[in-house]
Amino acid sequence: MNGAHDLGGMHGFGPINPAVDEPVFHEEWERRAFAITLAMGSHGKWNLDMSRYARESMEPGEYLSTSYYEHWIHGLELLLLEKGFLTEDEIQQRMTDIATQEKT
Amino acid sequence: MSVLTADRVQEVLRKGGSARLDEKVLAKFKPGDQVRARNINPIGHTRLPRYARDKHGVIDCDHGVFVFPDAHAATGEKTGQHLYSVCFSAAALWGEDATRPDDLVHIDLFESYLLADE
Repeated sequence: MNGAHDLGGMHGFGPINPAVDEPVFHEEWERRAFAITLAMGSHGKWNLDMSRYARESMEPGEYLSTSYYEHWIHGLELLLLEKGFLTEDEIQQRMTDIATQEKT
Repeated sequence: MSVLTADRVQEVLRKGGSARLDEKVLAKFKPGDQVRARNINPIGHTRLPRYARDKHGVIDCDHGVFVFPDAHAATGEKTGQHLYSVCFSAAALWGEDATRPDDLVHIDLFESYLLADE
């Protein structure tokens, strides 16, 4: 698909400056995002190319303004919804629960 | 349904996964062949980048037979195709006034992305 992931040849992003000694994970949640994606992928309900496609299908504006592991979580959510593991309501409910916990 | 348990994570990650298929498939191209990337715009997954579409290049090498990702993403079916390293000049990709027109770009492309160049 002609998504925001296909950046080759685009102008305006500036030079690529890889960080020295960049950590594997920048935040604790990224570690979880990686682990959950790996664990959910192991059951064989989808494959690597389906995962890539799910990440690419993110709305282009959102894709370009979010981080690598946010793309991963978006892709995973999409696959979990598509394959019937979760419903939109369950994800919303869980987000509300976490937000409530953080306030208290 | 298979489950990835904590004790197996190290082993699974170390082993990794290859998309190479042990299949005999006749290759349409050989190193040195002139090709043109097709102009396709599928709504599904593809590994043919936009900037290479409709551009002329040369087959540099044949990596062998690999799972075709476009079909694998759509249906889960593992169809084998030859994967080539295709060499494009910066001039072919970005035009004669490219900053460095003689630079070469190698892109790994599946056989069905390519047409024989007359």
